[in-house]
Amino acid sequence: MAAPMELSCWGGDWGLPSLHPECLTVMAYAKFSGAPLTVNTINNSWRTPKGDLPVLVSEDIVISQPAKILSFLRKQKYNADYDLSAKQGADTLAYIALLEEKMLPALLHTFWIEAENYCSVTKPWFASRIAFPLSLYLPGKMAREALNRILLTKGGPPLYSLTEVEAQIYRDAKECLNLLSKRLGTSQFFFGDTPTTLDAFVFGFLAPIYKVCFPRVHLQEHLKQLPNLCRFCDDILTCYFRLTVSGHSPAGQDTADANLQKLTQLVNKESNLIEKMDDNLRKSPQHPPRKLTTLKLAAGGEESSPMSRLSP
Amino acid sequence: ATLCFQAFLQMCNLPVRVICRPNAEYMSPSGKLPFIHVGNQVVSELGPIVQFVKAKGHSLSDGLDEVQKAEMKAYMELVNNMLLTAELYLQWCDDVTVEEITHPRYGSPYPWPLNRILSYQKQWEVRRKMKAIGWGGKTLEQVLEDVDQCCHALSQRLGTQPYFFNKHPTELDALVFGHLFTILTTQLITDELSEKVKNYSNLTAFCRRIEQQYFEGHDRDSSTIAAPSSKRSLLK
Repeated sequence: MAAPMELSCWGGDWGLPSLHPECLTVMAYAKFSGAPLTVNTINNSWRTPKGDLPVLVSEDIVISQPAKILSFLRKQKYNADYDLSAKQGADTLAYIALLEEKMLPALLHTFWIEAENYCSVTKPWFASRIAFPLSLYLPGKMAREALNRILLTKGGPPLYSLTEVEAQIYRDAKECLNLLSKRLGTSQFFFGDTPTTLDAFVFGFLAPIYKVCFPRVHLQEHLKQLPNLCRFCDDILTCYFRLTVSGHSPAGQDTADANLQKLTQLVNKESNLIEKMDDNLRKSPQHPPRKLTTLKLAAGGEESSPMSRLSP
Repeated sequence: ATLCFQAFLQMCNLPVRVICRPNAEYMSPSGKLPFIHVGNQVVSELGPIVQFVKAKGHSLSDGLDEVQKAEMKAYMELVNNMLLTAELYLQWCDDVTVEEITHPRYGSPYPWPLNRILSYQKQWEVRRKMKAIGWGGKTLEQVLEDVDQCCHALSQRLGTQPYFFNKHPTELDALVFGHLFTILTTQLITDELSEKVKNYSNLTAFCRRIEQQYFEGHDRDSSTIAAPSSKRSLLK
């Protein structure tokens, strides 16, 4: 049963374990269900990626699509959905369909079709991780596949030009993000306190948009306006992937803390000084308001007592 | 898919007349069927039609809260993703069905050789799309398994309630009814697809209930239901 399982996938950057949404989904699911996977990131070796990643290899079995990989893991008794009711299982399927229909086109577009993003970020990143000469061909192929998929599924009439298709898919993606945010609400994961398949899929699709630094980022800005989804991604990264969220090294964090302490001490000292000055002022005798000279003229007998009171 | 709309409009209590035309695909503004013609406006596809009807003051999903609306949208996507794609696959990618049923039906309004050319063109288009979304490599068994999974999910969600969101029908009910009824009543080479749906008794009861409630007593509607073949030529 404990056959060694190896997962080949694209590597990561910008605080993510992988840049590819399907690879991220599988890695997240493996962490949630406790499956012991050895992760092999494709890194400029001559072992060319055959077909699509992620690919799971266990003994002689090779499985390539995320849905099939997850069902294989479940059969090996690594099940993250164990506590879900049947209805929640049904909801999972429905939300995954929603993600694939609405989020995936926009994700593909941001990575592969948006010209600035593709030329400055995606192509160099992927090309650096594939051996030459495949690096000249494979990113282009992936971009063509992405464009094909978007045009065939979304590009029918009445949307005739690519700009109209783009506008529609980004509208759909923003609506999908809003729906997910409403569904998540304030809970930590989608079905209570333990993460499940749906959390893996949502994380896989959202984290690349959230973290990768693209030049054209309107979807990222929209996502950042939904704080519960951002918190969801950050939680999974810190709890399950043990990467610091803000990217500060731990040493940097310590010095920041030390500075904060010093500042607090200074502020405390200042406030102590101010308090002392206050006390001094209060204790110091105050000059009472000067009595009018008419009093002196009024009564001679009473003159002495007010005068004695007047003296400091 | 026509049935989804009829069901939806019936649920909104709006009278509707169904007309079959061979050039319907070209009359529609988006090239997709079905479409409705109201006064001097023409609207096609489920999403815009729902918006249009909502703008006129009829809406089925007003009583739902935000989370339920999100769920409803998710389930509608599931149905579109799985059932619609499976129906398309079965019609155009399964060789036996294509030869015996789809080609003749699709090409029937046109003379030879136009009928063959048009149906091959459509088939090539559908196969391209299947390949792009990853269904190209699927066998019939895998497709049937996916349909089974989808029906299982729908059956779980419906449970013992009369409609998906308890007492009142919504767009989701109309959509599910349209697809399931079509699967149950259309004659194909094999009955495997309808068998899969029949495995879930609450889904068949759901279809029967909606049929009785919204379609009984309308002569023209029962005639369109009894003639699925002419309806299918309108659909594709």
